[in-house]
Amino acid sequence: MSDWIDIGPLDAIPPRGARKVETPLGCVAVFRTGDDRVFAVNNRCPHKGGPLNEGIVHGQSVTCPLHNWVFDLSTGLAQGADEGRIDTFPAKLEGGRVLLAASALRARPVAA
Amino acid sequence: MQKLVVIGAGMASGRALEHLFDTQPGEWDVTLFNAEPRGNYNRIMLSPVLSGEKSYAEIVTHDEDWYAAQGVHCRFGEKVVAIDRAAKTVTGENGTVAYDKLLIATGSNPFIIPLPGHQLPGVVAYRDLEDTNVMIEASAIPGAHAVVIGGGLLGLEAAAGLRLRGMEVTVLHIATHLMERQLDAAAGFLLQKDLERRGINCILQANTKQITGDGKVEAVELADGTVLPASLVVMAVGIRPNVQLAKEAGLAVGKAIHVDDQMVTSDADILAVGECVEHQGAIFGLVAPLYDQAKVVAATLRGEEATFVQKQLSTKLKVTGCDLFSAGDFAEGPNREDIVFRDPARGVYKRLVIEGEKLVGAVFYGDTADSNWFFGQIRDGADISANRDTLIFGPAFQGGAPVDPMAAVAALPPEAEICGCNGVCKGAIVDAIKGGAVDLGAVRATTKASASCGTCTGLVEQVLASTLGGAFERNAPQPMCKCTDLTHEDVRRLIKSQELKSMPAVWQAGAWKTPDGCHSCRPALNFYLLADWPLEYTDDLQSRFINERKHANIQKDGTFSVMPRMWGGITTPDELRAIADAADKFKVPTVKVTGGQRIDLLGVKGEDLPAIWADLNAAGMVSGHAYSKGLRTVKTCVGTDHCRFGTQDSTGLGIALEKALWGSWTPHKVKLAVSGCPRNCAEATCKDVGVICVDSGYQIGVAGAAGMDVKETERLADVKTEEEVLDYTMAFIQLYRENAKYLDRPYKWVAKVGLDWVKEQVLDAGIRAQLVERFQISQSVYQKDPWAEHVKERAEQYVPVADLTKFAAE
Amino acid sequence: MDVTLDPQARTFIEVSEVWVPRDGVLVHAQGNYGDREAFAAVSGRESFALGEGLPGRAWAEGKPVVLKEFDGSYFKRTEAAKEAGLTSAVAIPVFDGKTLKAVLVVLCSDDTERTGAIELWAETDGLMMLSDGYYGAAKHFEWVSQHTHFPRGQGLPGGVWSARTPILMRDLGSGYRFIRADSAGKAGLTTGLGLPVPSPVGETFVLTLLSARGTPLARRFEIWDSRAAKVGTTGGAVLIDGICARDGRLWDEDNPRTAKAWEGPIGTVLGSGLPLVMGGNPALTAGYASMVALPIHLDGEHAFTVAWYC
Repeated sequence: MSDWIDIGPLDAIPPRGARKVETPLGCVAVFRTGDDRVFAVNNRCPHKGGPLNEGIVHGQSVTCPLHNWVFDLSTGLAQGADEGRIDTFPAKLEGGRVLLAASALRARPVAA
Repeated sequence: MQKLVVIGAGMASGRALEHLFDTQPGEWDVTLFNAEPRGNYNRIMLSPVLSGEKSYAEIVTHDEDWYAAQGVHCRFGEKVVAIDRAAKTVTGENGTVAYDKLLIATGSNPFIIPLPGHQLPGVVAYRDLEDTNVMIEASAIPGAHAVVIGGGLLGLEAAAGLRLRGMEVTVLHIATHLMERQLDAAAGFLLQKDLERRGINCILQANTKQITGDGKVEAVELADGTVLPASLVVMAVGIRPNVQLAKEAGLAVGKAIHVDDQMVTSDADILAVGECVEHQGAIFGLVAPLYDQAKVVAATLRGEEATFVQKQLSTKLKVTGCDLFSAGDFAEGPNREDIVFRDPARGVYKRLVIEGEKLVGAVFYGDTADSNWFFGQIRDGADISANRDTLIFGPAFQGGAPVDPMAAVAALPPEAEICGCNGVCKGAIVDAIKGGAVDLGAVRATTKASASCGTCTGLVEQVLASTLGGAFERNAPQPMCKCTDLTHEDVRRLIKSQELKSMPAVWQAGAWKTPDGCHSCRPALNFYLLADWPLEYTDDLQSRFINERKHANIQKDGTFSVMPRMWGGITTPDELRAIADAADKFKVPTVKVTGGQRIDLLGVKGEDLPAIWADLNAAGMVSGHAYSKGLRTVKTCVGTDHCRFGTQDSTGLGIALEKALWGSWTPHKVKLAVSGCPRNCAEATCKDVGVICVDSGYQIGVAGAAGMDVKETERLADVKTEEEVLDYTMAFIQLYRENAKYLDRPYKWVAKVGLDWVKEQVLDAGIRAQLVERFQISQSVYQKDPWAEHVKERAEQYVPVADLTKFAAE
Repeated sequence: MDVTLDPQARTFIEVSEVWVPRDGVLVHAQGNYGDREAFAAVSGRESFALGEGLPGRAWAEGKPVVLKEFDGSYFKRTEAAKEAGLTSAVAIPVFDGKTLKAVLVVLCSDDTERTGAIELWAETDGLMMLSDGYYGAAKHFEWVSQHTHFPRGQGLPGGVWSARTPILMRDLGSGYRFIRADSAGKAGLTTGLGLPVPSPVGETFVLTLLSARGTPLARRFEIWDSRAAKVGTTGGAVLIDGICARDGRLWDEDNPRTAKAWEGPIGTVLGSGLPLVMGGNPALTAGYASMVALPIHLDGEHAFTVAWYC
């Protein structure tokens, strides 16, 4: 794919943390896990709109800071008893840089 | 006879020639160029040669005699200058030779970071025998220091070897844990502990700035200003395929020389093998795929069908006494599940990663038994769904009866030690139980078993169960979270008794079942560690709830509230003006006077936080910590200054208390009040600590509540002076910090431990002085304005890392 | 190769024997005495109570004991030893936790030519310091060792200490720490076997056997790993390192040699958990005249076996 956009170095995101990226689809949170993998998801928790980039990251999940909904960053699915899903976007790490797929951010997200 | 020219006598080409001569002896006229003035040795065994545990002679695989016996024309020590593909010749420094087939095996060059000073004598890569000999020579100088840049496989082997040779060794690694490509954080942590036990100093997230020295290496300087003396610097940060010749010859080269599945390059008569090739986008550094390639090269040369297929790889570290193993892919993923097994007593960590019905990855530390079997399961993609529950125990358990832990404990002999901390054997526990200690608490009280670190609690319970049979009712204490079986109290005991000073250390010692905890245990652990080890432990922001990470209260719409500190509830016109200006400037929708005598600005946008803080800082105000599990407010009445009933300077005392306590982290929030007389206008009798001024001095009450529960304070002590109020309060807060469960308010904690015990501690002058001292040590680290710090050092974290709205919209 | 030797050379250790506890005393279990029949006969009749004689002393002290002079010492077989030309001895107790399994005694004969070293290192204040040692004619090296210490991870003693595993070093002579390296080179000491010696008294000891070219301590060394963490619960052992003057390297990363309990000499050690001394049957001892195998019990399991052949 040729439409990867470099959004910055991995170091810009703290381990087990996230940063926001503004996109035409709204705010996307780019996560870095404890083992240095990156994921991009819609920053809005479907429950009450909590900012997921501020949640605690554990394994490859994030816990919403407002009401502790836990989402798998790879599938976007809510874990445990909660039901819901956040949009996920292609993200990858190459040569220490974090890349997002531009095409996915231009297209409308699949309706959840 | 066909003419074969080989460039490079390394492990891959050596193995390829071996295969060729095995099957087609005498059919090839081979010329072998090698830049190194010798034959082929097992490069991956250089580490034990470096350490002195093996000799060079033992790792030679093909010496000149071997090549001579195979009729190979060896041109060792001679560099190849050019390849002429049209004429089908290779030109070396000493002349040209023609080929029918050419095999390029030029390997790789070590990657040298072009730091200032990288060309100084004493900076070496760790790649070949020459490098190894330079390192051995450097280690002969008494007391010499070495710095190894790169905490990967090769760097760590170099570090261990140099240490065994007698050097003082520091490893600098850029990532957050060692060998991050092969290990997860938990195993990386254990490896680091193991290396540190050997006297090897490891610095993670280390940014090397430059190498300094006058004519030779003398020191390595890090970006944070640290200077490490060094007479030897080893760079082990990676390899670069050596593709110069191939490129000049016009072969297709990407990251390395492109080869197809038959190891043929873009020229049908030229093959390539080893670390200089790129196959389907991948390049190769480990030996197993190189040997697979060598087989394919030999077959292709023979004109036979063969296909190189990339396979799963496994890693072992050649450091004597470090048992680790990793294979496959152990990143988490959708439909992936972890099985984590930790044995804190043996320092064992095992993690299996299962995807669907298959084992896809494994990381083992401290116990590598059956690693070949696990590797086989990964490589073969075996269906493990039938035995997944016992999979982690290895092949010996497969197909057998499930293990009954109770049976194991019942079978232990009386002299078997159950509690390692206090040296209590099973017999002593059984005797205690027969003597009437029929629950865990009683066993703890009579034998001290499980009374220290608590990791044997489960075993003690099993002894109770096996001794008492059905009469034992396990009073299952609530574990901290799903990651561990230990309670909060167990974990606090463990952290203190085993002096655990990092989160991975707690995960390992507490046999955590997840790789890195969850949102429930991480904030608690972060608090326990910073409360017990203020000087050693570094606060981990990523383990804090948002309010404490952002130093502001998140509101339900995702905006934040900002509340500056007003010491004792006292403010000035200038401060009020600055607050009003900030409210205007940042369009704060709501301004509220709080119950704690503060002014709260509600509805501030996340990205505006650093700016509004900077403005309030400029007016002399600091964070009010209205968001923290820490000291919130000290509420006061006006006291003797203005009130006709006031008996003491309650406002001044409140300010003094707030100045002493602010910035401290506590298990839950802490609110204080000081009332100037028993009329109690500051509502001191329902606070965590409430001081009432009377004519004779001060009454200190603790453990009040006015939230979900309402409770009056209980009298801790009556004292005469303000200094005593400060000391008693600090001692009480510190006792609470050191002993309470995370998220227990003081009244809950006091109810658990009893006010009498709290009094015994705080009223004892010696203990009180120690508590105050420990509190002040902690304050020396943590009493700082987070607003100023964040504005200065972390402002960029508050804004989006990128704005793609324009770019992506096109 | 460092241990390539003149087969005629005299060996550093002349006699090896194993004593085991039975009914409260140490009784003779095995011995390899060569042609010293009189000393063998005396030894066969001997037994030692706790604290008595050299083996009893090693048992009582819970650590290896070096005896450089028999005359006037607690050594019980002084006359017979002198007649057999033996002048010094080292006793190595084998403990499994607090239980004594056996005592291995090796006896040497002093002259001005034979160099080699059997050293006992003990942890003192966070460093490995020489506790005692027997060096034969390597007097300067002895002096140097007495004045050398090893931090964790450094040198053979520091390496064994921190790794908690036996280590076989090929290259004591060059690059070995401080002046000790220099002196080791001069004394001709090349190959060294270091092993952890578990002690019931809770101290940390490391024993090193250093071999010289002219008077080898052994011509073949082996280290076998039998920890469950390495071989699993099915038992047995794998050869993790080894070198032989005749066969060269014995280790093979990809295809390590293995041993099963009760099969062959190493298997006998694995099965019994006791040291083994064997002589007079080269077919069983890798073609050498004799072998000694010493088990190391760590953390409640038979963890390692080291063997030397000459």
